[in-house]
Amino acid sequence: MRKHTVRWLLPFLLLLPVLSWAQDERPPVTRAYFINNAYVVQEPGKVIDLGGVIIRNGLIEAVGKGLKAPLDAKTLEGDSLYVYAGFIEGLSHTGVPKPKQPERGSRPEVKDPGNPPNDVAGIQPERSVTDLMKADDKSVADMRALGFTAAHVVPHGGMLPGQGAIVLLGGDNEREMVLRANTSLYSAFEGGQRVYPVTTMAIMSKYRELYKQAEQVKGHAGKYAANSRGMARPEYDDVLAAFFPVIDKKMPVFFEVEDIKEVYRAMGLSKELGFNLVLAEVSRGQLVMDKLKSTNTPVFLTLDLPKAKKEDKKEKGDKDKGDKKETDEKDTDEKDVDKKEGDKKVSPEKKMMMDKAEARRDASRKELEEQAAMLAKGGITFGFSTLNVKASDVRAHLGRMIKAGLTEDQALAALTTNPAKMLGIAQVAGTVEKGKIANLVVTDKPYFAEGSNVRYVIVDGMPHEYEVKKKKGPSDPDAVVMAVGEWNITIQVPGQSTESMVTITDDGGSLSGTIASDGDSRNLSGVSLDGDNLTFGSKFEAGGQSISLSFDLIIDGDNIEGSVKAGGFGSFDVEGSRAPK
Amino acid sequence: MKKYNLLFLLLFAVAATLPAQTEKGSIHIKNATVITITKGVLENTDVVVTDGKITGIGKSLKTPKGARVVDAAGQFVMPGIIDAHSHIALDAVNEGTNIVTAEVETGDVIDPLDVAIYRALAGGVTATHAMHGSANAIGGQCETIKLRYGTYDPEELKMEGAPRTIKFALGENPMRVHGEGSGLHARTRMGIEQVFRRAFSEARDYMAAQEDYNKKMASDPQAVPPMYDRRMEALADILRGDIIIHCHSYRADEILMLMNVCKDFGVTKLVYQHVNEGFKVAPELAEFGAMASVFADWWAYKFEVYYSTAYNAAILTRNGVVTSINSDSGDYIRHLYHQAGKTQRYGMLTDNEALRLITLNPAIQLGIEDRVGSLEKGKDGDITIFSAHPLSVYAIPQMTIVDGVVRFDIKEDNDDMRLSVDPEDTETMMLDYDDDHRCMEGTAEELFKY
Repeated sequence: MRKHTVRWLLPFLLLLPVLSWAQDERPPVTRAYFINNAYVVQEPGKVIDLGGVIIRNGLIEAVGKGLKAPLDAKTLEGDSLYVYAGFIEGLSHTGVPKPKQPERGSRPEVKDPGNPPNDVAGIQPERSVTDLMKADDKSVADMRALGFTAAHVVPHGGMLPGQGAIVLLGGDNEREMVLRANTSLYSAFEGGQRVYPVTTMAIMSKYRELYKQAEQVKGHAGKYAANSRGMARPEYDDVLAAFFPVIDKKMPVFFEVEDIKEVYRAMGLSKELGFNLVLAEVSRGQLVMDKLKSTNTPVFLTLDLPKAKKEDKKEKGDKDKGDKKETDEKDTDEKDVDKKEGDKKVSPEKKMMMDKAEARRDASRKELEEQAAMLAKGGITFGFSTLNVKASDVRAHLGRMIKAGLTEDQALAALTTNPAKMLGIAQVAGTVEKGKIANLVVTDKPYFAEGSNVRYVIVDGMPHEYEVKKKKGPSDPDAVVMAVGEWNITIQVPGQSTESMVTITDDGGSLSGTIASDGDSRNLSGVSLDGDNLTFGSKFEAGGQSISLSFDLIIDGDNIEGSVKAGGFGSFDVEGSRAPK
Repeated sequence: MKKYNLLFLLLFAVAATLPAQTEKGSIHIKNATVITITKGVLENTDVVVTDGKITGIGKSLKTPKGARVVDAAGQFVMPGIIDAHSHIALDAVNEGTNIVTAEVETGDVIDPLDVAIYRALAGGVTATHAMHGSANAIGGQCETIKLRYGTYDPEELKMEGAPRTIKFALGENPMRVHGEGSGLHARTRMGIEQVFRRAFSEARDYMAAQEDYNKKMASDPQAVPPMYDRRMEALADILRGDIIIHCHSYRADEILMLMNVCKDFGVTKLVYQHVNEGFKVAPELAEFGAMASVFADWWAYKFEVYYSTAYNAAILTRNGVVTSINSDSGDYIRHLYHQAGKTQRYGMLTDNEALRLITLNPAIQLGIEDRVGSLEKGKDGDITIFSAHPLSVYAIPQMTIVDGVVRFDIKEDNDDMRLSVDPEDTETMMLDYDDDHRCMEGTAEELFKY
């Protein structure tokens, strides 16, 4: 069994020394790197054309023109490449595995749902995210591949999930990742699962109560320390103690807000209780711009957006009503059936109303897309938070925000200099400057340009290289395809390719599957089909390492095509077709 | 040390949040038939509102500077309708996890974007009592809101200075959610009574411990206060008379039971909601000084609501009980003036008595009668203009004004008045219509568990 496994994985293993510095068990040959002849964007608006960067022992040693390659440095050819400071996530769960979700509608086993234990209620402010991180969590590699090199990360779960830390998105273990621990108290209007507090009104009440109890216990403890004899001793409560640095204004509260109502609620709590507030996942912030300005509240905008409007494929037909009937009759494409029937039934009045509603949805979508541009115009400094965005959407969403009026420099600032300042790490991150941590993104075109590829992401002085993969067609979320069945696929690793069979089965609505090669078969995880986009993962242990494969494929009839990402080794093209019956 | 104690005391004070700056307007309504509720019906009369307050009711009044002028000749002007039982404009209704949740406040979950607010305005309503649901014997504190539709700030809807109120519930709802659903107490109506008695007793102990601490504090620097407890704070405030109880109720026996509990604990501010069997105990209610907010003619939706009558409001009124008619619904709220009219068919109430049921009486029940509920100089400019007498079936609300600001104008009534639209929601649109009663929202799992 083991032999088979290794044989199948051989092509991947061959790549180990070539593509991965970070994962190699041996120490790297050198910790000095030299990027030359690149377009170095030191910070928004400040660029060096044909410049160089020398990196040594995790720090930027020099930046500028006419630098000489140090003798011990490995040179990364920078010709025609663009170098930026590594991006920073203002608030995220990157590297923090999501705990298993209880079944919907279920209630955890508790004696009294009105008074559950704190961990069940989602009240664990005493936890530190540093105890919950996994350096090899897929999200770290995913975000890094986009150019993110540092993140302010927080635990999952409930109204008070725990304390955040600022981490670097690289390193062999969790300890190595941590730049600063216990940087924030993370809060959210996230209720318990059918246990108190479920609703936002109970969350608000509980929040006030905990805060005031913490103030009370803190006061009592202070008094007790000064004069304890004859005095009832204060209760030791680590939940309440977690609020102490917040009460002293030494630690900010990062509140995740879903909409502007929650912006008002979080601001209300902050004003009432007196803590330092930072808002994250803000959307439609332009509607509360004055309030954000007058209170000087730091904001991280959500990088999540609603799905982009689909281009109406039938637009041509609609324009010419005379032709429409004919084309409709000919067109028996199954996905047009709905629309065709709809068109016939709808009265002109209803059609007008539906068009108006559609226009409002468009306006609403635009409002969300142009939030960043509007806030920038209004003079508000902001970064981005990534709690709710899928990594695969980040670049497209940034593109939509730029299309809606955000300048590229403003976008870059929101990814680099702004979060560095807002998180208090501007001394060591956010720009390409001598002495800062060597966190860099290197691309083959300007980052925000169409078709730009990330070539290297350097975290803590350690380069991660990315192959430019063959462009796969864009996925179509509305396509109806058949994923179930057997597929012969070829994974194209340079110089060596491997053939496997993927079997996808439908277990009453949820997909699962196996991947097999040379008689060895293993289960797939996270099999999901979105339109014509089939994604799944697989994991294997080899050479003492756990390597996860994540497939991202597009199905077109009996053909399948896409790529597979193999841990930190890079991404490889995949091609295949349905196995003959 | 003294300074320290002072600080400590401040901890217990409920943090007073400054009222949000609400928009006030000026308006001059001319030549209308003015139904004042307290001072008769005045023909060919003007009503003038200056900066949100009524500054004049009379003939040929001067228009204040910058005021909008509305010619209402042939139209009827009345105080804005008040709904003493509503769940519109709320993001949550029930914290159904505990049989006592006195500490939660619907004021924390106001939804200013709810289009139901606009629909209510289109029915002449200017203020509602945004209530917690009836899942718990002692539910959450409620918020009296003004329908200032158009703002995004939840605070701006709150009626500044309105007294605090709290939702209680008797009978089947709390029994089902907690006794049957969660397998805890209370399973019977007797058990519900014990929930009140226990809660009030605990609150008394809490108050005593606080008092004890306050006494010791002066002489003993090492005195330690009891741990701050928001539930106990709220219950203690009920005992202190700072919060009006609004209790969901149907059966006469339970109505009497709660009055007895209140008597035992010295609680006097009590309004019953629904009160379908109120007509059986109307003299007792009047004697206690309890008030009643009822449906016009709606019953039989569960076992304990079978014994009912459409004469309920009239019987209660004739027995001297301050009575109102409420909607408890995003639909009924739009025609409360029709609901009030039913008391003329069932009980022959006068025009003024019928209209009091949806104006001044609910205002009294919410403790805001010095501000709203009638058209008088000095009161808030909350006004509704009807095309005909509001008790006529042909009457159509023309304009609804809150604090002198026109919030509904039938001439500017567009198809889609939503303040916020979900770009991905293509299903509900504005056709989505809240006619469900939300009293038991958020408790489905408990109710349908076998």
